Amino acid sequence: MARSDLSFFDPSKARGPREGPDVGRDVTADITGGGEPAAPLSVSGLLGRVKAALAGSMPQRVAVLAEISNVKLHGSGHLYFRLKDEHCAIDAVMWRAQAARLKFRPLDGLEVVAEGRVDVYDVRGQLQLYVERLTPRGEGALELAFRQLKEKLQAEGLFDPARKKPIAPYPRAVGIVTSDTGAALRDIRRTLARRWPAATVYLAPALVQGQAAARSVADALAALDAAADRLEIDTILVARGGGSLEDLWPFNEEPLARAVAACRTPVISGVGHEVDVTICDLVADARAATPTAAAEMAVPDAAEARQAVSRLAQRLGRAVMEDLVSARAALAAVLRSAAFRHPTARVRTHAQRVDELSHRLTGGLRRRLAEAHRRLTAPAGRLAALHPAALKERASGRVEKLLHRLRWALGRRARKAEDRLGNLAHRLDAASPARRVRELRQQVRSAERQLEALSYRNVLRRGYSVTRDARGRLMRSIQQVRPGETMQTQLADGTVHSEVSSATAATPAPPAPAPRRTSRGKGRPPPGPTLFDS
Amino acid sequence: MTKQALSFEKALEKLETIVQEIESGEVPLEKSIEKYAEGIELVKNCRTILDAAEKKIQLLAKGEDGSLTPAGEMEDETDRPDEPAP
Repeated sequence: MARSDLSFFDPSKARGPREGPDVGRDVTADITGGGEPAAPLSVSGLLGRVKAALAGSMPQRVAVLAEISNVKLHGSGHLYFRLKDEHCAIDAVMWRAQAARLKFRPLDGLEVVAEGRVDVYDVRGQLQLYVERLTPRGEGALELAFRQLKEKLQAEGLFDPARKKPIAPYPRAVGIVTSDTGAALRDIRRTLARRWPAATVYLAPALVQGQAAARSVADALAALDAAADRLEIDTILVARGGGSLEDLWPFNEEPLARAVAACRTPVISGVGHEVDVTICDLVADARAATPTAAAEMAVPDAAEARQAVSRLAQRLGRAVMEDLVSARAALAAVLRSAAFRHPTARVRTHAQRVDELSHRLTGGLRRRLAEAHRRLTAPAGRLAALHPAALKERASGRVEKLLHRLRWALGRRARKAEDRLGNLAHRLDAASPARRVRELRQQVRSAERQLEALSYRNVLRRGYSVTRDARGRLMRSIQQVRPGETMQTQLADGTVHSEVSSATAATPAPPAPAPRRTSRGKGRPPPGPTLFDS
Repeated sequence: MTKQALSFEKALEKLETIVQEIESGEVPLEKSIEKYAEGIELVKNCRTILDAAEKKIQLLAKGEDGSLTPAGEMEDETDRPDEPAP
């Protein structure tokens, strides 16, 4: 193709078909001027002639099928690239006005049909194609653009499921970005009102078609998102009714996609019909097939929510009722319990315990009492035994023996009584232990007295007597009385009261302690030495 | 258009928590009766929200500072005869 293009530069051919009266004439004249070399031209002159020749021979607009390479988008907005095939290449430029309208990105290697005019770039004397229209080969420009943007954003992770924010199940308010005159708004409005009238609905109107639409929607989205906290907007709907691919195109544009991605508020996209998928759909947190579906997705069904509330209300009532029932049952169980039916049972148990302890206490007391009695009675026995011992010095061996026996008998009796007392003391009931002990003691004492009485009365019967001084003391020595004092002498059958006339010390002959026996001198035979000295 | 103290979602969540607490049986009776009263209040709250009248669409317009502010209510279009709302 490049070769055939070159043939256009053949001056003879160029002259042939087109012989314009203006430029053509000059050129022809210069080149064909007699065959001899013309006067040298300036570079400008040369290029001027070439350009004129081109303009004269080339069609105003050519279409070139080529592969793009060396793409450079200059800061000025002009797009520079090279068009090539297997063997040849030509530089190309697309001015900003046209380049900005490109839907797809002219990437290296892309096969395109470039349409424009061929001319010489004077500064470098370079042939250049001034491209006015660039279309991808094999697919539509929009399809390509869609694919390109989709791939780009995908690579950035903008479609990543992890990025998607959860949609509020019960939004307080819903924001809508769409045309304020479109069918989409009506559909959304109707659906929201039917399902969830509680939510406030805010509309941020935007253009949804045409060159300015993407920017308009993006701006409305950003503004709505910024106001979301203040207006309690929990969900934003971006919607547009159905249309051609060109109609929906704004929703495939990068600025809009970026605005959706930048929203902090969850965005639901509902653009076009079921079959349409836009970049906006892909970036949004949730995608609905239609505006109506988007609205359904945005709010719950009030009827369902009402049921949910009713179920919870029922569970609440049941739960607290169960609590009450079980509490009541617990109370009933307590009331049925022994403690409540017999409120005094516990007191009684305590009383029993007190009784038991008191019993043990008195028992202990009783034992100690009995012991005390034993201790008291023992000396009493000894005392009884002592008394006859006083007689011992005056009594004969027989008396002594008798006394021994008596003492023994007395002791035995006392011991027996003590034993009995001891035994009994254990068995005494609470009412009478002290009395019984007293009785026993009484018995023991009377027994002692009897024995005592028996013991020396017998001695008296045998002729002995006991003399006491005026104060009742036993007289053991003549020293105890003086003449004129009274004495009492006890005999077996009575007592003699006498007055002392004189006292004579005993003669040493009888070994007995005669002085102690002065009392015997009254009406009584002197005691035989046998009795006391044995 | 009275503003609810709690959003429906919060009220429902709280109600759910209360029901579960009482159901668990770990709350003392006195407390569970207290919670029951609170729950009933939440049920009422939820139903009030559900019974809320349909609201007009608030039209937003850009203010001088560029932020959106309500600029009035939109005309009601839902009562069109062509597609009566259920």
